[in-house]
Amino acid sequence: MADPRGMTDVELERALRDLAPRYPYPPTPNLASPVRLRITAQAVAQPRRLELWRDPRRLALVAAVLLVLLGAAALANPVTRDAIAHFFHVRGVIVNREASPLPSLSPVTPLDLGRRTTMADAQSRVSFTIAVPAEVGQPEAVYVVSGIPGGEVALAYTPRPGIPLVKQTGLGLLISEFRGDLIPGFITKGVGPGTTVEEVSVHGDRGWWIAGEPHIIYVQVAGTDQMETLRMAANTLIWEHAGVTYRIESGLSKADVFKIAAGLP
Amino acid sequence: MEGRPLDDVALVERARQGDVNAYEALVQQYQQLAFRVAYQVTGDAAEAEDAAQEAFVNAYYALGRFRAGAPFKPWLCRIVANEARNRRTSARRRTVLAERALVAQSSGGSAQSPEAAAEADEFRSTLVAALKTLREDDRLILAYRLFFDLSEAEMAEALDCPRGTVKSRLSRALARLRAALPADIRMPVVGGESDG
Repeated sequence: MADPRGMTDVELERALRDLAPRYPYPPTPNLASPVRLRITAQAVAQPRRLELWRDPRRLALVAAVLLVLLGAAALANPVTRDAIAHFFHVRGVIVNREASPLPSLSPVTPLDLGRRTTMADAQSRVSFTIAVPAEVGQPEAVYVVSGIPGGEVALAYTPRPGIPLVKQTGLGLLISEFRGDLIPGFITKGVGPGTTVEEVSVHGDRGWWIAGEPHIIYVQVAGTDQMETLRMAANTLIWEHAGVTYRIESGLSKADVFKIAAGLP
Repeated sequence: MEGRPLDDVALVERARQGDVNAYEALVQQYQQLAFRVAYQVTGDAAEAEDAAQEAFVNAYYALGRFRAGAPFKPWLCRIVANEARNRRTSARRRTVLAERALVAQSSGGSAQSPEAAAEADEFRSTLVAALKTLREDDRLILAYRLFFDLSEAEMAEALDCPRGTVKSRLSRALARLRAALPADIRMPVVGGESDG
Protein backbone atom coordinates (compact mmCIF):
# COMPACT_ATOMS: atom_id res chain seq x y z
CA MET A 1 0.00 0.00 0.00
CA ALA A 2 1.34 3.37 -0.97
CA ASP A 3 0.49 7.02 -1.04
CA PRO A 4 -2.07 7.18 -3.87
CA ARG A 5 -0.57 10.47 -4.96
CA GLY A 6 2.45 8.50 -6.11
CA MET A 7 0.33 6.51 -8.56
CA THR A 8 1.31 6.60 -12.19
CA ASP A 9 -1.22 7.59 -14.84
CA VAL A 10 -1.57 3.94 -15.78
CA GLU A 11 -2.29 2.92 -12.18
CA LEU A 12 -4.76 5.72 -11.72
CA GLU A 13 -6.49 4.86 -14.97
CA ARG A 14 -6.71 1.26 -13.84
CA ALA A 15 -8.20 2.35 -10.53
CA LEU A 16 -10.81 4.40 -12.39
CA ARG A 17 -11.65 1.55 -14.74
CA ASP A 18 -12.07 -0.64 -11.69
CA LEU A 19 -14.41 1.96 -10.23
CA ALA A 20 -16.45 2.31 -13.46
CA PRO A 21 -18.85 -0.63 -12.98
CA ARG A 22 -19.29 0.22 -9.31
CA TYR A 23 -19.72 3.97 -9.67
CA PRO A 24 -22.67 4.96 -7.50
CA TYR A 25 -25.04 6.18 -10.18
CA PRO A 26 -28.69 6.53 -9.30
CA PRO A 27 -30.87 4.09 -11.26
CA THR A 28 -31.33 5.15 -14.89
CA PRO A 29 -34.85 6.48 -15.38
CA ASN A 30 -36.96 5.48 -18.38
CA LEU A 31 -36.44 8.29 -20.86
CA ALA A 32 -37.80 6.60 -23.98
CA SER A 33 -41.49 7.13 -23.19
CA PRO A 34 -41.35 10.78 -22.13
CA VAL A 35 -39.03 11.61 -25.03
CA ARG A 36 -41.39 9.94 -27.47
CA LEU A 37 -44.36 11.77 -26.03
CA ARG A 38 -42.55 15.08 -26.22
CA ILE A 39 -41.41 14.52 -29.79
CA THR A 40 -44.88 13.69 -30.97
CA ALA A 41 -46.37 16.50 -28.90
CA GLN A 42 -43.78 19.08 -29.85
CA ALA A 43 -44.05 18.22 -33.49
CA VAL A 44 -46.72 20.85 -33.74
CA ALA A 45 -44.32 23.55 -32.66
CA GLN A 46 -42.08 22.92 -35.64
CA PRO A 47 -42.17 25.67 -38.23
CA ARG A 48 -43.61 23.54 -40.99
CA ARG A 49 -43.44 26.03 -43.81
CA LEU A 50 -39.81 26.68 -43.10
CA GLU A 51 -39.14 22.97 -43.11
CA LEU A 52 -40.76 22.57 -46.48
CA TRP A 53 -38.66 25.28 -48.00
CA ARG A 54 -35.52 23.87 -46.46
CA ASP A 55 -36.04 20.52 -48.07
CA PRO A 56 -36.31 20.88 -51.85
CA ARG A 57 -37.22 17.22 -52.40
CA ARG A 58 -40.10 17.46 -50.00
CA LEU A 59 -41.16 20.75 -51.48
CA ALA A 60 -41.30 19.19 -54.94
CA LEU A 61 -43.29 16.29 -53.57
CA VAL A 62 -45.70 18.61 -51.84
CA ALA A 63 -46.20 20.53 -55.05
CA ALA A 64 -46.87 17.32 -56.96
CA VAL A 65 -49.33 16.03 -54.41
CA LEU A 66 -51.18 19.33 -54.19
CA LEU A 67 -51.46 19.40 -57.95
CA VAL A 68 -53.16 16.02 -57.86
CA LEU A 69 -55.39 16.77 -54.89
CA LEU A 70 -56.43 20.33 -55.52
CA GLY A 71 -56.24 20.17 -59.29
CA ALA A 72 -58.69 17.29 -59.34
CA ALA A 73 -60.91 18.92 -56.77
CA ALA A 74 -61.09 22.05 -58.88
CA LEU A 75 -62.54 20.22 -61.86
CA ALA A 76 -66.08 21.44 -62.00
CA ASN A 77 -67.40 19.44 -64.92
CA PRO A 78 -69.10 16.38 -63.44
CA VAL A 79 -68.47 14.25 -66.51
CA THR A 80 -64.72 14.92 -66.48
CA ARG A 81 -64.73 14.66 -62.73
CA ASP A 82 -66.26 11.21 -62.69
CA ALA A 83 -63.76 10.04 -65.25
CA ILE A 84 -60.85 11.07 -63.08
CA ALA A 85 -61.83 10.90 -59.52
CA HIS A 86 -64.61 10.34 -57.08
CA PHE A 87 -65.43 12.78 -54.34
CA PHE A 88 -66.91 12.14 -50.97
CA HIS A 89 -67.94 15.01 -48.79
CA VAL A 90 -68.52 15.71 -45.20
CA ARG A 91 -68.67 19.38 -44.42
CA GLY A 92 -65.06 20.47 -43.90
CA VAL A 93 -63.63 17.41 -45.58
CA ILE A 94 -63.18 16.49 -49.22
CA VAL A 95 -62.14 12.93 -49.93
CA ASN A 96 -60.60 12.55 -53.30
CA ARG A 97 -60.46 9.07 -54.83
CA GLU A 98 -57.60 8.62 -57.28
CA ALA A 99 -57.35 5.83 -59.83
CA SER A 100 -53.57 5.60 -59.61
CA PRO A 101 -51.39 5.37 -56.51
CA LEU A 102 -50.50 8.70 -54.96
CA PRO A 103 -46.91 9.62 -54.19
CA SER A 104 -45.91 8.43 -50.76
CA LEU A 105 -44.69 10.84 -48.12
CA SER A 106 -42.33 10.17 -45.25
CA PRO A 107 -44.16 7.80 -42.89
CA VAL A 108 -44.06 10.25 -40.03
CA THR A 109 -44.36 13.96 -40.65
CA PRO A 110 -44.68 16.33 -37.74
CA LEU A 111 -48.33 16.79 -36.90
CA ASP A 112 -49.70 20.28 -37.05
CA LEU A 113 -52.24 19.98 -34.31
CA GLY A 114 -51.97 23.51 -33.00
CA ARG A 115 -50.90 24.76 -29.63
CA ARG A 116 -50.81 22.35 -26.73
CA THR A 117 -53.01 23.54 -23.93
CA THR A 118 -55.46 22.52 -21.26
CA MET A 119 -58.97 21.29 -21.98
CA ALA A 120 -60.43 24.37 -20.29
CA ASP A 121 -58.33 26.75 -22.37
CA ALA A 122 -59.14 24.84 -25.57
CA GLN A 123 -62.85 25.01 -24.76
CA SER A 124 -62.65 28.77 -24.28
CA ARG A 125 -61.12 29.16 -27.74
CA VAL A 126 -63.49 27.17 -29.92
CA SER A 127 -67.09 27.92 -30.82
CA PHE A 128 -68.49 24.44 -30.14
CA THR A 129 -68.60 22.13 -27.16
CA ILE A 130 -65.60 19.83 -27.13
CA ALA A 131 -66.71 16.24 -26.86
CA VAL A 132 -64.52 13.62 -25.17
CA PRO A 133 -65.56 10.01 -25.79
CA ALA A 134 -66.16 8.08 -22.57
CA GLU A 135 -64.76 4.93 -24.16
CA VAL A 136 -61.21 6.31 -24.04
CA GLY A 137 -61.52 9.03 -21.39
CA GLN A 138 -59.44 12.18 -21.14
CA PRO A 139 -56.64 12.55 -23.72
CA GLU A 140 -52.97 12.77 -22.78
CA ALA A 141 -52.70 16.02 -24.70
CA VAL A 142 -55.09 18.67 -25.98
CA TYR A 143 -54.24 21.00 -28.86
CA VAL A 144 -56.11 24.00 -30.11
CA VAL A 145 -56.01 26.06 -33.26
CA SER A 146 -57.86 29.26 -32.58
CA GLY A 147 -56.91 31.25 -35.67
CA ILE A 148 -59.39 29.52 -37.98
CA PRO A 149 -63.16 30.04 -38.14
CA GLY A 150 -64.73 28.35 -35.13
CA GLY A 151 -61.40 26.92 -34.03
CA GLU A 152 -60.18 23.34 -34.06
CA VAL A 153 -59.34 21.06 -31.21
CA ALA A 154 -57.26 17.88 -31.33
CA LEU A 155 -57.32 15.24 -28.62
CA ALA A 156 -54.19 13.07 -28.60
CA TYR A 157 -54.04 9.66 -26.95
CA THR A 158 -50.81 7.74 -26.57
CA PRO A 159 -50.75 4.04 -27.46
CA ARG A 160 -51.94 1.70 -24.73
CA PRO A 161 -53.22 -1.85 -24.50
CA GLY A 162 -56.09 -2.04 -26.96
CA ILE A 163 -55.00 1.11 -28.78
CA PRO A 164 -52.03 0.34 -31.01
CA LEU A 165 -49.43 2.82 -32.11
CA VAL A 166 -50.15 4.54 -35.39
CA LYS A 167 -46.92 5.02 -37.29
CA GLN A 168 -48.24 8.01 -39.20
CA THR A 169 -49.03 10.03 -36.08
CA GLY A 170 -46.80 8.51 -33.43
CA LEU A 171 -49.99 8.37 -31.36
CA GLY A 172 -52.54 5.74 -30.50
CA LEU A 173 -55.60 7.78 -31.25
CA LEU A 174 -56.14 11.24 -32.64
CA ILE A 175 -59.55 12.91 -32.50
CA SER A 176 -60.09 16.24 -34.25
CA GLU A 177 -63.15 18.43 -33.93
CA PHE A 178 -63.83 21.60 -35.90
CA ARG A 179 -66.60 23.66 -37.44
CA GLY A 180 -66.84 22.00 -40.83
CA ASP A 181 -69.75 24.28 -41.70
CA LEU A 182 -67.50 27.35 -41.43
CA ILE A 183 -64.45 25.98 -43.26
CA PRO A 184 -65.72 23.74 -46.06
CA GLY A 185 -62.35 22.94 -47.67
CA PHE A 186 -60.43 22.54 -44.44
CA ILE A 187 -59.25 18.99 -45.05
CA THR A 188 -58.52 17.39 -48.39
CA LYS A 189 -57.84 13.70 -48.44
CA GLY A 190 -56.25 11.82 -51.28
CA VAL A 191 -57.13 8.15 -51.40
CA GLY A 192 -55.34 5.70 -53.65
CA PRO A 193 -56.45 2.28 -54.93
CA GLY A 194 -55.24 0.49 -51.76
CA THR A 195 -57.58 2.46 -49.55
CA THR A 196 -61.28 1.82 -49.14
CA VAL A 197 -63.84 4.56 -48.60
CA GLU A 198 -67.12 3.35 -47.17
CA GLU A 199 -70.18 5.42 -46.53
CA VAL A 200 -71.33 4.96 -42.95
CA SER A 201 -73.91 6.34 -40.58
CA VAL A 202 -72.81 7.68 -37.21
CA HIS A 203 -75.86 8.27 -35.01
CA GLY A 204 -77.81 8.83 -38.21
CA ASP A 205 -75.35 11.36 -39.61
CA ARG A 206 -73.58 10.51 -42.81
CA GLY A 207 -69.89 9.84 -42.55
CA TRP A 208 -67.02 8.01 -44.18
CA TRP A 209 -64.82 5.20 -43.01
CA ILE A 210 -61.45 5.37 -44.78
CA ALA A 211 -59.30 2.31 -44.23
CA GLY A 212 -56.55 0.18 -45.67
CA GLU A 213 -53.45 1.80 -47.09
CA PRO A 214 -52.50 5.10 -45.46
CA HIS A 215 -53.95 8.04 -47.34
CA ILE A 216 -52.76 11.57 -47.82
CA ILE A 217 -54.25 14.33 -45.77
CA TYR A 218 -53.83 17.99 -46.52
CA VAL A 219 -55.09 20.53 -44.04
CA GLN A 220 -55.30 24.17 -44.88
CA VAL A 221 -57.51 27.16 -44.46
CA ALA A 222 -57.64 28.77 -47.88
CA GLY A 223 -55.98 32.13 -48.08
CA THR A 224 -54.42 32.07 -44.63
CA ASP A 225 -51.11 31.07 -43.18
CA GLN A 226 -52.73 29.71 -40.09
CA MET A 227 -51.84 26.14 -40.71
CA GLU A 228 -50.80 23.83 -43.43
CA THR A 229 -50.18 20.13 -43.05
CA LEU A 230 -49.51 17.46 -45.58
CA ARG A 231 -48.96 13.99 -44.25
CA MET A 232 -50.01 10.37 -44.44
CA ALA A 233 -53.00 9.33 -42.34
CA ALA A 234 -54.14 5.97 -41.00
CA ASN A 235 -57.68 4.55 -40.77
CA THR A 236 -60.08 7.40 -40.28
CA LEU A 237 -63.74 7.84 -39.46
CA ILE A 238 -65.19 11.24 -40.34
CA TRP A 239 -68.69 12.58 -39.88
CA GLU A 240 -70.43 15.80 -39.19
CA HIS A 241 -73.11 16.64 -36.69
CA ALA A 242 -74.73 20.01 -36.11
CA GLY A 243 -72.01 21.91 -37.95
CA VAL A 244 -69.15 20.21 -36.15
CA THR A 245 -67.00 17.74 -38.04
CA TYR A 246 -65.44 14.89 -36.09
CA ARG A 247 -62.46 12.92 -37.23
CA ILE A 248 -60.99 9.84 -35.50
CA GLU A 249 -57.66 8.55 -36.78
CA SER A 250 -56.27 5.32 -35.38
CA GLY A 251 -55.05 1.84 -36.16
CA LEU A 252 -58.26 0.38 -34.74
CA SER A 253 -60.84 -1.71 -36.55
CA LYS A 254 -64.06 -0.17 -37.76
CA ALA A 255 -66.00 -1.82 -34.93
CA ASP A 256 -63.65 -0.43 -32.28
CA VAL A 257 -63.68 3.05 -33.76
CA PHE A 258 -67.48 3.01 -33.76
CA LYS A 259 -67.40 2.20 -30.05
CA ILE A 260 -65.38 5.38 -29.54
CA ALA A 261 -67.61 7.35 -31.89
CA ALA A 262 -70.60 6.25 -29.82
CA GLY A 263 -69.37 8.61 -27.10
CA LEU A 264 -69.30 11.60 -29.45
CA PRO A 265 -72.26 13.57 -30.86
CA MET B 1 -31.28 -11.50 -39.17
CA GLU B 2 -33.60 -12.67 -36.45
CA GLY B 3 -34.10 -10.03 -33.85
CA ARG B 4 -30.74 -8.40 -34.38
CA PRO B 5 -31.07 -4.75 -33.43
CA LEU B 6 -30.45 -2.27 -36.16
CA ASP B 7 -27.15 -0.51 -35.79
CA ASP B 8 -26.88 3.15 -34.90
CA VAL B 9 -26.34 4.33 -38.45
CA ALA B 10 -29.51 2.65 -39.69
CA LEU B 11 -31.53 3.83 -36.70
CA VAL B 12 -30.28 7.40 -37.03
CA GLU B 13 -31.06 7.39 -40.73
CA ARG B 14 -34.58 6.16 -40.08
CA ALA B 15 -35.05 8.68 -37.30
CA ARG B 16 -33.91 11.42 -39.67
CA GLN B 17 -36.72 10.36 -41.98
CA GLY B 18 -39.12 10.93 -39.12
CA ASP B 19 -39.36 7.36 -37.82
CA VAL B 20 -40.23 7.92 -34.16
CA ASN B 21 -39.89 4.20 -33.40
CA ALA B 22 -36.31 4.21 -34.63
CA TYR B 23 -35.53 7.19 -32.45
CA GLU B 24 -37.17 5.55 -29.47
CA ALA B 25 -34.88 2.56 -30.01
CA LEU B 26 -31.90 4.90 -29.96
CA VAL B 27 -33.12 6.49 -26.74
CA GLN B 28 -33.48 3.08 -25.15
CA GLN B 29 -30.01 2.13 -26.25
CA TYR B 30 -28.36 5.29 -24.97
CA GLN B 31 -30.50 6.42 -22.07
CA GLN B 32 -28.17 4.95 -19.47
CA LEU B 33 -25.14 6.61 -21.02
CA ALA B 34 -26.95 9.93 -21.39
CA PHE B 35 -28.23 9.86 -17.85
CA ARG B 36 -24.80 9.01 -16.48
CA VAL B 37 -23.02 11.67 -18.50
CA ALA B 38 -25.56 14.19 -17.24
CA TYR B 39 -25.11 12.91 -13.71
CA GLN B 40 -21.34 13.37 -13.96
CA VAL B 41 -22.01 17.03 -14.68
CA THR B 42 -24.93 17.77 -12.37
CA GLY B 43 -24.28 15.40 -9.48
CA ASP B 44 -28.03 15.35 -8.99
CA ALA B 45 -30.33 12.58 -10.20
CA ALA B 46 -33.37 14.74 -10.94
CA GLU B 47 -31.33 17.35 -12.78
CA ALA B 48 -29.55 14.61 -14.71
CA GLU B 49 -32.86 13.05 -15.73
CA ASP B 50 -34.23 16.38 -16.93
CA ALA B 51 -31.03 17.20 -18.77
CA ALA B 52 -30.88 13.79 -20.47
CA GLN B 53 -34.52 13.96 -21.50
CA GLU B 54 -34.12 17.49 -22.84
CA ALA B 55 -30.96 16.44 -24.68
CA PHE B 56 -32.75 13.57 -26.41
CA VAL B 57 -35.56 15.85 -27.51
CA ASN B 58 -33.10 18.49 -28.74
CA ALA B 59 -31.02 15.84 -30.49
CA TYR B 60 -34.10 14.60 -32.33
CA TYR B 61 -34.75 18.01 -33.80
CA ALA B 62 -31.05 18.45 -34.55
CA LEU B 63 -30.82 15.20 -36.52
CA GLY B 64 -31.09 17.21 -39.71
CA ARG B 65 -27.69 18.72 -38.93
CA PHE B 66 -26.17 15.38 -37.98
CA ARG B 67 -23.55 14.21 -40.46
CA ALA B 68 -24.83 11.01 -42.06
CA GLY B 69 -22.78 7.99 -41.02
CA ALA B 70 -21.03 9.83 -38.16
CA PRO B 71 -21.01 8.12 -34.74
CA PHE B 72 -24.10 8.93 -32.73
CA LYS B 73 -22.64 8.30 -29.28
CA PRO B 74 -20.16 11.21 -28.98
CA TRP B 75 -22.57 13.58 -30.69
CA LEU B 76 -25.20 12.70 -28.13
CA CYS B 77 -22.67 13.02 -25.28
CA ARG B 78 -21.92 16.56 -26.37
CA ILE B 79 -25.58 17.56 -26.43
CA VAL B 80 -26.20 15.91 -23.06
CA ALA B 81 -23.19 17.54 -21.41
CA ASN B 82 -24.19 20.97 -22.73
CA GLU B 83 -27.72 20.53 -21.50
CA ALA B 84 -26.47 19.32 -18.12
CA ARG B 85 -24.10 22.29 -17.79
CA ASN B 86 -26.97 24.65 -18.42
CA ARG B 87 -28.83 23.12 -15.52
CA ARG B 88 -25.99 22.50 -13.15
CA THR B 89 -25.91 25.97 -11.71
CA SER B 90 -29.54 25.73 -10.69
CA ALA B 91 -29.03 22.70 -8.46
CA ARG B 92 -25.94 21.63 -6.68
CA ARG B 93 -27.41 19.20 -4.27
CA ARG B 94 -24.98 16.54 -3.32
CA THR B 95 -25.60 13.07 -2.10
CA VAL B 96 -22.06 12.08 -1.35
CA LEU B 97 -22.83 10.21 1.84
CA ALA B 98 -25.50 8.08 0.25
CA GLU B 99 -23.21 7.44 -2.68
CA ARG B 100 -20.42 6.31 -0.41
CA ALA B 101 -22.80 3.85 1.14
CA LEU B 102 -23.72 2.62 -2.33
CA VAL B 103 -20.08 2.17 -3.29
CA ALA B 104 -19.50 0.15 -0.15
CA GLN B 105 -22.52 -2.02 -0.90
CA SER B 106 -21.62 -2.74 -4.47
CA SER B 107 -18.18 -4.23 -3.99
CA GLY B 108 -18.19 -7.87 -5.00
CA GLY B 109 -14.80 -9.58 -4.81
CA SER B 110 -15.58 -13.01 -3.39
CA ALA B 111 -11.91 -13.91 -3.40
CA GLN B 112 -10.99 -10.87 -1.33
CA SER B 113 -10.56 -11.00 2.42
CA PRO B 114 -12.99 -8.78 4.34
CA GLU B 115 -10.11 -6.42 5.15
CA ALA B 116 -9.04 -6.15 1.52
CA ALA B 117 -12.65 -5.64 0.40
CA ALA B 118 -13.14 -2.90 2.98
CA GLU B 119 -9.93 -1.27 1.86
CA ALA B 120 -11.00 -1.39 -1.80
CA ASP B 121 -14.37 0.09 -0.89
CA GLU B 122 -12.78 2.88 1.03
CA PHE B 123 -10.44 3.64 -1.81
CA ARG B 124 -13.28 3.71 -4.34
CA SER B 125 -15.30 6.02 -2.11
CA THR B 126 -12.31 8.31 -1.84
CA LEU B 127 -11.87 8.22 -5.61
CA VAL B 128 -15.51 9.16 -6.13
CA ALA B 129 -15.18 11.98 -3.61
CA ALA B 130 -11.97 13.22 -5.27
CA LEU B 131 -13.64 13.12 -8.72
CA LYS B 132 -16.38 15.32 -7.38
CA THR B 133 -13.91 17.97 -6.32
CA LEU B 134 -12.58 18.25 -9.88
CA ARG B 135 -13.68 20.80 -12.41
CA GLU B 136 -16.54 19.43 -14.44
CA ASP B 137 -14.56 19.29 -17.70
CA ASP B 138 -11.84 17.24 -15.97
CA ARG B 139 -14.43 14.89 -14.51
CA LEU B 140 -16.15 14.57 -17.87
CA ILE B 141 -13.00 13.74 -19.83
CA LEU B 142 -12.04 11.08 -17.29
CA ALA B 143 -15.54 9.64 -17.39
CA TYR B 144 -15.66 9.62 -21.20
CA ARG B 145 -12.40 7.73 -21.40
CA LEU B 146 -12.47 5.43 -18.40
CA PHE B 147 -16.15 4.98 -17.57
CA PHE B 148 -17.84 5.23 -20.96
CA ASP B 149 -15.00 3.91 -23.14
CA LEU B 150 -15.02 6.63 -25.77
CA SER B 151 -12.12 6.50 -28.20
CA GLU B 152 -9.89 9.54 -28.61
CA ALA B 153 -11.70 10.52 -31.78
CA GLU B 154 -15.06 10.18 -30.04
CA MET B 155 -13.81 12.21 -27.08
CA ALA B 156 -12.68 14.99 -29.39
CA GLU B 157 -16.19 15.03 -30.89
CA ALA B 158 -17.90 14.86 -27.50
CA LEU B 159 -15.71 17.58 -26.02
CA ASP B 160 -15.77 19.64 -29.19
CA CYS B 161 -11.99 20.00 -29.18
CA PRO B 162 -9.17 19.11 -31.60
CA ARG B 163 -8.19 15.47 -31.43
CA GLY B 164 -4.56 16.43 -30.72
CA THR B 165 -5.48 18.03 -27.41
CA VAL B 166 -7.46 15.09 -26.00
CA LYS B 167 -4.43 13.23 -24.66
CA SER B 168 -2.93 16.24 -22.91
CA ARG B 169 -6.28 17.21 -21.42
CA LEU B 170 -6.75 13.68 -20.15
CA SER B 171 -3.29 13.69 -18.65
CA ARG B 172 -3.89 17.00 -16.89
CA ALA B 173 -7.20 15.73 -15.54
CA LEU B 174 -5.47 12.64 -14.14
CA ALA B 175 -2.82 14.83 -12.51
CA ARG B 176 -5.47 16.97 -10.87
CA LEU B 177 -7.33 13.89 -9.69
CA ARG B 178 -4.14 12.52 -8.21
CA ALA B 179 -3.52 15.77 -6.38
CA ALA B 180 -7.08 15.69 -5.03
CA LEU B 181 -6.55 12.32 -3.34
CA PRO B 182 -5.71 12.43 0.34
CA ALA B 183 -2.25 11.18 1.34
CA ASP B 184 -3.49 8.96 4.11
CA ILE B 185 -5.82 6.73 2.08
CA ARG B 186 -4.51 3.21 1.60
CA MET B 187 -4.37 2.25 -2.03
CA PRO B 188 -5.24 -1.35 -2.75
CA VAL B 189 -3.99 -3.23 -5.78
CA VAL B 190 -6.82 -3.07 -8.27
CA GLY B 191 -7.57 -4.71 -11.55
CA GLY B 192 -4.27 -6.58 -11.72
CA GLU B 193 -5.81 -9.99 -12.12
CA SER B 194 -7.91 -9.14 -15.13
CA ASP B 195 -5.82 -6.58 -16.95
CA GLY B 196 -2.82 -8.90 -17.16
